[in-house]
Amino acid sequence: MQKSRWIWLPLAQVPIALFAPASYGATYLTLEQAQQAIFPGEKLSQSFINLTNQQVQEIERRSDTNVRRKQIQLWKSTNGGFFIVDEVVGKHEYITYAVGLNSDGTVKQIEIMTYRESYGYEVRNADWRAQFVGKSASAPLKLDKDIKNISGATLSCRHITDGVKRILATYEVALK
Amino acid sequence: MKSRSSELRRARPLLGTIVEIGARGPGASAGIEAAFREVETIHQLMSFHEIDSDVSCLNRAPLLTPLAVDPRTYEVLTWAQRISALSEGAFDVTVGAELVAAGFLPEPANSEYPFPEANFRDLSLLPDNRVLLKRRAWIDLGGIAKGYAVDRAVMMLKQFGVVSGTVNAGGDLFVFGAAQPVHIRHPEEPGLKFPLGKILNSAVASSSGCFSAREKIHAVNDPLIDPRRNRRVNWRFSVTVIAACCIVADALTKVVRLAIRQAPRILSQFGARALIIDRRGLRIFPANENDTMSSSLETAARVVNTETRASIPHQAVTGL
Repeated sequence: MQKSRWIWLPLAQVPIALFAPASYGATYLTLEQAQQAIFPGEKLSQSFINLTNQQVQEIERRSDTNVRRKQIQLWKSTNGGFFIVDEVVGKHEYITYAVGLNSDGTVKQIEIMTYRESYGYEVRNADWRAQFVGKSASAPLKLDKDIKNISGATLSCRHITDGVKRILATYEVALK
Repeated sequence: MKSRSSELRRARPLLGTIVEIGARGPGASAGIEAAFREVETIHQLMSFHEIDSDVSCLNRAPLLTPLAVDPRTYEVLTWAQRISALSEGAFDVTVGAELVAAGFLPEPANSEYPFPEANFRDLSLLPDNRVLLKRRAWIDLGGIAKGYAVDRAVMMLKQFGVVSGTVNAGGDLFVFGAAQPVHIRHPEEPGLKFPLGKILNSAVASSSGCFSAREKIHAVNDPLIDPRRNRRVNWRFSVTVIAACCIVADALTKVVRLAIRQAPRILSQFGARALIIDRRGLRIFPANENDTMSSSLETAARVVNTETRASIPHQAVTGL
């Protein structure tokens, strides 16, 4: 019988150090690595462009997303492809990613370059911690530097999906 | 990029989430590429949204007519049926209709409306990767395909000679070859990560209502359906399951959430372990022989349970 039941531990009894408040981040690719990953062996030439107000409006209309930056970090491949570095910001995440477009404007590949989560403000705030940790609020928060793999609470990639939609509209409006 | 111990790590947006693959060994680069391609294929086969996926074909196929599907789709359906039977329907892939009704999935094109009482028993698995539906139901593999994609990605990495690695599909993950620390997000405070300890050659999957398809409003943000009542459940806690493969871990998180009392029996059958985090505390199963969870936590749990069992309200200990 004993074996078939749940063992229970109230949160107030959980040493707070067990909860690591550190923000999580990962760097997957540098700019050059991302370029090589998407356009292996090809030479890319930088050709940043600045969108006009009119283009911004048109891109926003077509993609139903906000254009946060007028400058497009763009590189052109020798075979007519495009390499664009873009950034999306969620409530707590900052994601830099690269999109490769074929010469016909279709998506060739998407690679995430960096991913960063930030919950810094709340975690540093003692009141915030107190409401959460209950009786053991006095226990020090441990900064866990070894966070590599996180399970739970599936993150949506909606921001990236919207970003790619915006990039495809940018292609139609400004690159085609 | 080469990080510590020259592990190669890449991430791409796939399966509606961010899929991260890490690998060490001579075949790491080619293995990662092949693994991402496999994940993409699984997405195309099992997506409810893609009109040509096996799932969409099945959802609009004529009733009582065998339909040949990809061996991978067949494998997922086989696992799903097994877990449905064991959990007496707590896990059921025919919940598509309720998810559509709740607005989490779009209505499939060219399909008649499902029979309200249809359930997993209306899905028959025939030889040669053929399946058939006895009554109209909408199949959704959202509760199991991600775990399977992780298992397949791991298989590809190994085929390419990768010695050790991780595949993490937005929280459903597998670690092989070399142990790695795994943390669980707190369901209500995602800034807090709970250290699960080091994981090796095992899968970890979590399910919680806080970061699902629908954001912002907690009351409607959880696309988990209780198939026995055809109702959505709103639970603000996270369930984590550790198992030998990710498809099982993924599916069993739903079993734990929907059938907490029967869960220990089913977890035991798969040699799986589970951890629930909610506002009030943690629940762990099984209580001992738990080599992967933080030993300090385990000791703490044992002490607390021994000392305070009498004072904890019955309901808090045994269920919800």
